[in-house]
Amino acid sequence: MIVRQLGYALAFAALILAAAAGLRYGVVSGAVDAESARRIMQVLLGLGLAGYGNFMPKKLGRPRRSPEAEARMQAALRVGGWAMTLAGLAYAGLWALAPLALADTGGTIAVASAAATTLGYALWCFAACRGARNASAQR
Amino acid sequence: MSRVFKALADPTRRAVLQHLRRRPMTAGELSALFPVSKPTMSAHFAVLREADLIDAHKQGTTITYRLKLSVLEDALLEFAHAFGIGAGAAAQADDNSTHHREGSAS
Repeated sequence: MIVRQLGYALAFAALILAAAAGLRYGVVSGAVDAESARRIMQVLLGLGLAGYGNFMPKKLGRPRRSPEAEARMQAALRVGGWAMTLAGLAYAGLWALAPLALADTGGTIAVASAAATTLGYALWCFAACRGARNASAQR
Repeated sequence: MSRVFKALADPTRRAVLQHLRRRPMTAGELSALFPVSKPTMSAHFAVLREADLIDAHKQGTTITYRLKLSVLEDALLEFAHAFGIGAGAAAQADDNSTHHREGSAS
């Protein structure tokens, strides 16, 4: 399982590096203008983020001790997955279609909001689980 | 992907996934929610596991199922649920089984 995940990550990294090298070659040879190359690269990164976000809720890990912790972890993964997927698609869409200034600002805001949502929700779940565990230990 | 579509085509399996959205549940808890036999529920669980939409872990004699939907699969589930895909076939299957039972009884 870990080997397969590592394989996908390495394949994605290789794709990004190959795309960057190809686009650089295209810009130098005059086949692609610098703005298009930048846009293509950002769209690829956005789609990559959407792809990772899509599979985020599937990475359950080992079962937790309490059903409540399990439910909250599941909720955190779902919220994080949706947030990252939508942010990735928004990022890719903005870089594909919007003017450069809007794509730059809007894309950053979309990804930062998704990251904040994911982190905030995960911390809330962690705090709730910890509170429940302390309460059950005191009983 | 065809396994995912097959799994999501059945209203009972979709209802199982909807229940698992709230929290992980045991096979017994899930079976109690549906008016079908345990072997039928086991077959539904097997289809869902084969499609990698649920995760099962056994503790003693209890099997607990956890939701394992990607965002795309989650969206497909909502889509299938909203448009009632497979509901007609399921209703027909129910009718057939009712007629079959009535035929056997008379």
